[in-house]
Amino acid sequence: MSPGVLAAESGVGSFQSFSVALTVAVLLCEFAMLRAPLSRSQVRIYAVQSLLVSGLAADVAIARHIPDLFAIVGLSLVLKVVVIPLIVLRLISEAVVDLVPSHRLGVATMVLLGLVAAGIGLFVVGAVHVHSRTLPTASFGLSASAVLVAFLLVVLRADVVSQAVGFFALENAISVASLVVAAGLPLIVEVAFFFDLLVAVVVFGVLMRVHHRRTGTLSTSALDELRG
Amino acid sequence: MALSPVVIQAAQVLTVAVFAPFVSGVLAKIEALGQGRRGPRVLQPYYDLVKLLRKEILVPEPASWVFLVAPALAVACFLTVPILIPVLTSYPLPLGIMGDILAGGFVLSLGGFALALGSAETGSPYPQLGSSRAMTFGALIEPAILFVTFTVALTTGTDLPYAEGDAVRASLAQALSPAHVLVMVAFFLVVLNDTGRIPVETHASTLELGMIDEARTMEWSGPLLALVRFGSMVKQFVLYVILIDVFTAPWGLAGSRSPGAIGLAVVALIGKALAVGTVFTLIDNSFSKLRLFKLTEFMAAVFLLAVLAVMVDLAGLG
Amino acid sequence: MAYALLALLVAPALAAVVSVFLPRWAVEALAVVVGGGSFAVAIILVGNPRVDALNGWLSVDALAVVFLLAVSFLYFLTMVFTIGYLRAEDQSTETWRRGRLLFVGLHLFCWAMLVAPLMSSLALLWVAIEVTTVVSALLVALDGTKRASEAAWKYVLIASMGLGIALLGTVVLYYAGSAVLGTHYDLFFTQVLRAAHRLPPQVVRLADVLAVVGFGTKVGWVPMHTWLPDAHSEAPTPVSTLLSGALLAVSFYAVLRYFEITERAVGAGFPRAVLLGFGLASLLLAALSVAGQRDVKRLLAYSSIEHMGILAVGMSFGATVAVAGVLLQVLGHAAAKGTSFFGAGTLLRRFGTKDLGRIKGAISLLPRSGPMLVLALLGLSGLPPFGIFRSELMIVEGGLLDPDGSAVVVVVVLVLLAFAGLLWTTGRALLSPAARPRPARASEPSRWMAGAMFLGLVGLAVLGVHPPEQLLVLLDHAARQLGAGR
Repeated sequence: MSPGVLAAESGVGSFQSFSVALTVAVLLCEFAMLRAPLSRSQVRIYAVQSLLVSGLAADVAIARHIPDLFAIVGLSLVLKVVVIPLIVLRLISEAVVDLVPSHRLGVATMVLLGLVAAGIGLFVVGAVHVHSRTLPTASFGLSASAVLVAFLLVVLRADVVSQAVGFFALENAISVASLVVAAGLPLIVEVAFFFDLLVAVVVFGVLMRVHHRRTGTLSTSALDELRG
Repeated sequence: MALSPVVIQAAQVLTVAVFAPFVSGVLAKIEALGQGRRGPRVLQPYYDLVKLLRKEILVPEPASWVFLVAPALAVACFLTVPILIPVLTSYPLPLGIMGDILAGGFVLSLGGFALALGSAETGSPYPQLGSSRAMTFGALIEPAILFVTFTVALTTGTDLPYAEGDAVRASLAQALSPAHVLVMVAFFLVVLNDTGRIPVETHASTLELGMIDEARTMEWSGPLLALVRFGSMVKQFVLYVILIDVFTAPWGLAGSRSPGAIGLAVVALIGKALAVGTVFTLIDNSFSKLRLFKLTEFMAAVFLLAVLAVMVDLAGLG
Repeated sequence: MAYALLALLVAPALAAVVSVFLPRWAVEALAVVVGGGSFAVAIILVGNPRVDALNGWLSVDALAVVFLLAVSFLYFLTMVFTIGYLRAEDQSTETWRRGRLLFVGLHLFCWAMLVAPLMSSLALLWVAIEVTTVVSALLVALDGTKRASEAAWKYVLIASMGLGIALLGTVVLYYAGSAVLGTHYDLFFTQVLRAAHRLPPQVVRLADVLAVVGFGTKVGWVPMHTWLPDAHSEAPTPVSTLLSGALLAVSFYAVLRYFEITERAVGAGFPRAVLLGFGLASLLLAALSVAGQRDVKRLLAYSSIEHMGILAVGMSFGATVAVAGVLLQVLGHAAAKGTSFFGAGTLLRRFGTKDLGRIKGAISLLPRSGPMLVLALLGLSGLPPFGIFRSELMIVEGGLLDPDGSAVVVVVVLVLLAFAGLLWTTGRALLSPAARPRPARASEPSRWMAGAMFLGLVGLAVLGVHPPEQLLVLLDHAARQLGAGR
């Protein structure tokens, strides 16, 4: 597309590129979680990621006039940006902090794997013809990439906090996907999702504590008695 | 009055050559102020160069002619690049299409290669250490630079630096598009790496655990050392110019050939270079160096950004 | 009839709440009453399987009632069993504190599983199933051992990630529907089904695959099954029972809903092929793994994977009789697996170990539950006169209607392999003479436990010998509803 055409529709263009930039940032947050050596910083990155997702939702709500979404924005600001990170941070501070790195692979290798996963999401899932009314269509591929990288996070990091945060990040990625293709989802359903997430967080928290009590560590490398 | 393009082209090279030490001097001053020191005079690099030029040359015994030629070759390479990139003008100059971004990159690396070869000649451990490290990390950052080039090629249809600068100037939407933002950040980090800044290297430190560039210069002396020092200042300035005039802020360039416009462009360029340099010194002063074996993480991050830029662009989101 | 649905929606949750502070006898009585009541409501629904309530947000059809039956039957039995299971422990207040928690958790768990088939909206169906995950994960960790916490962590992580994929599938299906139904709609199953033939096929395929992989993680299909044997073996026995007999079935129910829509939207070939792949993989792995197990509960867990594989393969055959067989198998599996797990729990209480190598002469030391366990295992392996024999026969019959019978041959071979493995492994522990040095007195740990097993066997036998006419009509309805035979 020539620069002139872009400039002409810069009203739409800037909204779109802003929202895409937010989506890309959501994906980058997951890469940062993948690398982050400390559980604490992972949780903080998760809070940032949730903030970005809320921003994206607000962006869509304003640009597309979907007032229902504001309720979601509020809920996600309160829950995902503040409450959940605080709960998890508290859990971490109760545990004896162990700085044993939990990377199963070198950072560079993880990044390469992550790029492959992101590529699969972007181009394979993106190839399914999805037309979005709210966001650039290819954003769906980006959110699929974020889903896949969240899986990598769970697989490649061997500690309970990373794995829990990986699940939360997965949920964020799916939120982005639902903003792209299902922004009109009924409020009751969205609220149910949020309630569910909160319950999941509590359960993850309880199990993290159980795990810590039993094994004295946050690492999952001690979990090797049961093999499927 | 319109200047002939040849004169302007020469002016580009001259601007870089003349003001590179000045930029380095000012940045050293800013960095020192940031650390609560008074710092050297702004013009100190010029004095240093003059002082070095007056000293004698000592050549290590195992060194051959390569050792003697390398500094001059490096400076020549670094000063060739300003011919290829938009330094003062927004319109392409006659020799500007002689080479694209890749060619500029090659010429820059050729200069680095000459220095590495020259320092490896000496047989002394530190320069060899430095040159092998520089080559290793250079090879690791190279793929990222390639992907930056790909993105440029995807957005402009060419890989001429002038075209990319034009595209950025043409629309703000283009300048803020996700792919371009990613490329900007990636290239920023590349410059961070190539100018030996934290978190890659503590510049002007001679701690053997982390030094890369500094180690290479150890055996050169007198005028040769002056050339090496001058070369690294020029290289830094050139990289700043690419970052500014191609990727981030290609505004303030001369649109005509009048001497006034060109003069204004020189002033604007130095101002922008100092602004960018200040950002680098801020980073320098506020972060700590990565351990050497963690540098791959830095390279991986740059690579990640560059590849994501290409992917986002290919997926039609650029 | 709408009251029936509301009762199922409210009663178990209420029971969970009041069980927190009632005295022990009342908790036990309430458990039996609510469990039995739910089963009674499900039976009432069999005769009239088209009900809705709350402005259509709750509704059942023939398919949902089949699953309600399976869940509520096990709900009732598990509650009876749990009373005995807890009474056979030492009677300190500390143990009862855990026992009370177990009751509360079981009520909540069953509540979520009963609510899932009631949900009209596919989004809320997902929510209900996610609730089953979080509740049951806590229940798995209830014993507090290191192994239990390991199993619970694996379970909650893998199942939640799987359900994440299912949620993505739900969102994608919502998108598919919005092309026809507008941007704001409730994702009611019936809405989507009515519009199915106008949905964009490629998007529906994507939703189907995501849903099968996602919910399939909880069904326990290979290769998403890795949590299953661990969670089943480390959970307290009542929880294992519900996980295996009810939870897997409820997740399978969710898959069937997507199956139905996909079949209507893009034709039967695609969803059947997807299920056939997962089904055969599960059958193969389970049939090969059963023989090597020493832990009786792991053994039963692998048998669950095998049965879930049979369900998937049966759906892929597509003939009405096969699909009806699949639904009958859901019921038969609930009864047989429930009874077997009860038996395993009794063994655990009696011998203090799950290791089959160290259990000798169970049949003589457990005069009532020993023989019943043997019968349940025979039933589980598909021997007449029990329900699973009938259902597997129907599935195979349906498969033979297909001109290309190769899948049937594979299924039969693998089922026989699993059958041999199951009987070989358990037979030694159950039928061998009791250990010489210390011949213990023959006794039952608890009559309640044996009672639950008896009820389960009766159910299994009824399904095999003479299923009630109304039930067969129901299964036939549900099978036709699933678009079979077309």
